[in-house]
Amino acid sequence: MKNLIMIIILVTFFSSCSTVKEYEKVNLNDPDMALTQMQIDRFETNYQVYREAAAGANGGKSGGGCGCN
Amino acid sequence: MQLIMNKIFIIFVFLFGYLGYSQDEPIATYKKRVLEQTEVDFLMSYYSQDGDNAAVTGGIGTEELTDITPTFVFSIPLNEDDVLTVDAGISSYTSASSSNLNPFDVSGASNSGEDDDDEDDDNDRVQNGQASDIIGSPWVASSGASQQDVWGSITVDYSHSSDDRNFIWNTNISFATEYDYTSFGLGGGVAKLFNEKNTELSAHAKVYIDLWNPLYPTELDSYLDVDGDLDDGFFEDVDILDQNGNISTNWQPINGFSLIKDKGRNTYALTLSWAQILNKNSQFSFFVDIVQQQGWLGNPMQRVYFTDTENYFIGNASSIPNYTSKQNKDVFQLADDIERLPDSRFKIPVGFRYNHYLNEKTSLRTYYRFYTDDWGIVSHTASIELPFKISSKFTLYPSYRFYNQTAADYFAPFDEHLSTDQYYTSDYDLSKFSSNQFGFGVSYTDIFTKAHIWKLGLKNIDFRYNYYKRDTGLTANYFALGFKFQMN
Repeated sequence: MKNLIMIIILVTFFSSCSTVKEYEKVNLNDPDMALTQMQIDRFETNYQVYREAAAGANGGKSGGGCGCN
Repeated sequence: MQLIMNKIFIIFVFLFGYLGYSQDEPIATYKKRVLEQTEVDFLMSYYSQDGDNAAVTGGIGTEELTDITPTFVFSIPLNEDDVLTVDAGISSYTSASSSNLNPFDVSGASNSGEDDDDEDDDNDRVQNGQASDIIGSPWVASSGASQQDVWGSITVDYSHSSDDRNFIWNTNISFATEYDYTSFGLGGGVAKLFNEKNTELSAHAKVYIDLWNPLYPTELDSYLDVDGDLDDGFFEDVDILDQNGNISTNWQPINGFSLIKDKGRNTYALTLSWAQILNKNSQFSFFVDIVQQQGWLGNPMQRVYFTDTENYFIGNASSIPNYTSKQNKDVFQLADDIERLPDSRFKIPVGFRYNHYLNEKTSLRTYYRFYTDDWGIVSHTASIELPFKISSKFTLYPSYRFYNQTAADYFAPFDEHLSTDQYYTSDYDLSKFSSNQFGFGVSYTDIFTKAHIWKLGLKNIDFRYNYYKRDTGLTANYFALGFKFQMN
């Protein structure tokens, strides 16, 4: 049931999108709107990888490369 | 777990197919460079923490640690389509808990500049002092070689964008090293943009081939050095005390202690992501990582104490009743073993980011992650950030982050494991806890790069501060400063 709800949400979310033209992306192109992690936040992610068991799915490390979890 | 992976895979296949069908024909006119000019980022962070649950001393003891990480990132456009990125940095840290790999340095007895490794641990540990002077404590940092170290890393990434900028591939290699660890990484990925760049699907893979140069608690590797003879080597003329403070020769690690045989640690990670513009003011991205780790996944520095075995100490007998108290400055309990964990771990973190442009001054940045693995850990992470422009050049970044996790199946606090267990750890990073993080930042941006250093124009200065607090008692302060320059 949970999987079904998840798929419905995904499909609904996706199908509700309208195509935004390049000249309409002024607001989306604001650096604060970037969907990636900001460069300055990389160290924050690093110490969280060391101090917490969960990692990944944020553009940072998900394990390996260090003696961390 | 396999069922979930299959479903995720089917969803991505469906989306790739659907979006590929609706793709517009590219219009090749003016080709803008992917990166106009060389950019140089200089970043530095300072991190300090303190707490009372050091893993090196079995789940109690000082966790005091400081870390400084200067880093350079060079992004170099090779031509209109290709960018080379070189990311090099070091991390220099001082750690009270790591220093207690050899806690007896606090007495000066073994402060002879040795390397804390698993070789040559013999009589020189006691040559500078009387045996009765040898003390240590999980609450006091020692002065051994392991109290500080430098971690260095370099990553080189090459990326190529197609003429219409709708397809990007990249590949990268990385190398990192510290005194007990070496890592070699190899990765690559592809990204495809659809629907007038409103949708992006990407897949990236990364492999880390890591190798431990294991360091062990000094009493354990010394025990192996002397073949269990407590009148020889490190133990010569050293009084080992039982729980009642009486001299004893009965201490021995569980099963006589065994060194790590497989020192490798490999990580295989696949990341799938979907980024979607919803409208002129909002967009989201969805990430799934599938991670498999194999090899020695514990840390050989970390002690474990069993509740069903006798306790033995070196130091001041009168402090034994107060061993777990911070008042204990002069007695140390000998380890029963190092932590032992399974040689395999399968992780699935799923992340979702949603950003909304509220108005010309304010944006909303949100993030949520669900994480699960086959060690029994389930975690939720949620964060929110509200960038607020106070002028054309300055932006403020207030933020809040919540995190929680369940404990790993193999975790127990100090002196609560059973010697009959197959796997065990007292590392509080694997315990059940929740944390709150409050952050603040400020950014200065000059798109005209008026200020110069040599041929580099200053484009951006960023500052961040975070206060982090776990309900286990650990607290941390974090500062980061970043300068972005553009070659003129």
